Amino acid sequence: MIKLLHVEDDADIREIAKMALELSGEFEVVQCDCGEAALERVADFAPDVLLLDMMMPGMTGRQTLERMRENPALADVPAIFMTARAQNSELDELRSIGATEVISKPFDPMSLADQIKAAIS
Amino acid sequence: MPKIKFDGRTIAAFSAGLFLAVAWYTLSGAVLSGWSAEVFPVIGAVIIAALMSAFAVRKPATAIQHIGDVSLAQQLRLLKTHTMVNVVDTQNLLVEVNDLLLEATGYSRDELIGQPVSKLYANDGTSFADQIRAKLCSKEGWQGETLLRRRDGTICITQTTVTPLLDSDGKWIGSISARTDITKTVELIAERDIGLTLHELRDDVWIVDEKTETLKYMNRAAKNRFGWTPTSYTDITLTQMAQEHDCKAILDACAALKANKETFIKLEAHIFGTKFDVSTKWLHPNTPNGRFLIMLNDISDRMAEERKQADFISMVSHELRSPLTSIKGAMGLLLSRAAGELSPKAEGLLEIAHRNADRLVLIINDILDMEKISSGRLDFDIKEFDVSEMVNEAVRSNSAMQQRSGMNIRCVGVDAPHIVETDPNRIIQVLINLLSNATKFSKPGDTVEVMIEQLASGVRVSVRDEGSGIPEKDQHKLFQRFADMTNSDRVAKGGTGLGLSICKAIVESLGGTIGFESREGEGATFMFTLPTRISDKVQEPVRPMLRSVG
Repeated sequence: MIKLLHVEDDADIREIAKMALELSGEFEVVQCDCGEAALERVADFAPDVLLLDMMMPGMTGRQTLERMRENPALADVPAIFMTARAQNSELDELRSIGATEVISKPFDPMSLADQIKAAIS
Repeated sequence: MPKIKFDGRTIAAFSAGLFLAVAWYTLSGAVLSGWSAEVFPVIGAVIIAALMSAFAVRKPATAIQHIGDVSLAQQLRLLKTHTMVNVVDTQNLLVEVNDLLLEATGYSRDELIGQPVSKLYANDGTSFADQIRAKLCSKEGWQGETLLRRRDGTICITQTTVTPLLDSDGKWIGSISARTDITKTVELIAERDIGLTLHELRDDVWIVDEKTETLKYMNRAAKNRFGWTPTSYTDITLTQMAQEHDCKAILDACAALKANKETFIKLEAHIFGTKFDVSTKWLHPNTPNGRFLIMLNDISDRMAEERKQADFISMVSHELRSPLTSIKGAMGLLLSRAAGELSPKAEGLLEIAHRNADRLVLIINDILDMEKISSGRLDFDIKEFDVSEMVNEAVRSNSAMQQRSGMNIRCVGVDAPHIVETDPNRIIQVLINLLSNATKFSKPGDTVEVMIEQLASGVRVSVRDEGSGIPEKDQHKLFQRFADMTNSDRVAKGGTGLGLSICKAIVESLGGTIGFESREGEGATFMFTLPTRISDKVQEPVRPMLRSVG
């Protein structure tokens, strides 16, 4: 099972992503509604992959990742961003801060699991 | 009251009057006695003073008291030497011209006499001469500016008075024109106006001597930036300016003009603590009058505005896409039986909702793209990529729509790689759009053909359908924004009317061309080209030009 930590402020999107990933039977999903909560949860959970929403109130996805990277144990965990912003310059910027993949919203729930597996393989 | 002019004559007259009045008062007072000794000295002194004052202010006599005293011949001589004069008959044909007019226009007398006066006028001379003639017919005069065309083609501006000539019976027999050359005056006024305009421009304007690189002129905005007086900048060099005022970019721009032997450079520079568009023009290069004209346009406000717009797009993008993610996601899960089996009716309805959610995503994407293109913020990620792969990707993306419509897709030329330098995602977007249009207008069983052809300096991709074709009356507006809006098929076909204009902006921004061929009833072929190397075609950083499209 792939341990995935999903950080997303929109409860509906959280529910859809969780259902889509668990449907594949290959993911163990833990979800947080903000970056601060994710920072508290991440050490115990020790995820194999991070799925981060980019724009969230409080800490953004980018800030959340930067804080996680300060922990040597999380320095190499693949990070996948979800964003509704599609400008190339922003995607490049996300990759430059260590994003393994960027998934644009709206995403296809039926191919989400495959996209994540491809990104971390 | 006449004005008294205190010249020598006046002062002498007043002094004499005062002396005589005092002398009379003293002598008559001594000679007379009784009441007369009280009255006559005073009255006499007053009369003497008044007479001398009158003499003092009296005008001196001259030889000419009135203009009538100057002979007509003398007046005419003056007129002829000061003014261009010509006489025309009732047909507007020149019958007399004076030497000054010949000198000013460069014509000989023989070249003008008997010719229509319109020959002298610039622009539409005949119509102008007729306008003046109409006034003269009704025995009215005419005054105004006239533009004369000299024999060498140059223009002479004159202030002109035209008077009708009448015979003894009062019948109109022609007209006489007197013209004063005001070309130099007009030019001086124009120069002054240009100078004033330059001075009042909101942009900073500098003029720098090419050889010494010293400042020769600064307009008000430029001087105000430093709090300088009208002359305090004189003879300061560009090097000094660069050292003392953080404007090395201007010095570098002038040096680059000289080094590259160019006459114009435009650049963006951060100087004086803010962002400027700097335009540098080299006037009269390598001559004693060589000058650099430097204009600085403060673009910090514009950039702040652009940042606000970018933030707005980002916000709208996020706010619209987030709920759509939930809607589309939820329906996608239901359709994949994640929540259990569906009745056929429920599945049909869900498919309708899912398809329209897809449409909504496309519309939002088109509108956001259009906004980005219009404001020049559509960015590109340029890399070397195989066009065949792009075509295959676009065909895969279109497969669901293709299956629904029951048409076939045939790809030609995709077996070999066709590597170009471009933004693959944007070209896939163009291909999906063209394929989607072709699918929309195809009937079940039709075939859409996607063909890649290698060109000498790039590739050509075409998408051909067997649909109804494009009516000739609509072809000219096909790449305009909302071109499809008047098409009754639009709602049924589900287009925003933005797709093709976005395709055009993308392809042209990437150095390519886009076009189509179509005859009504015989389908349509849309094709675009891409250069092998984008840098061969696009000198400037890639920047969409959609403003010229719609």
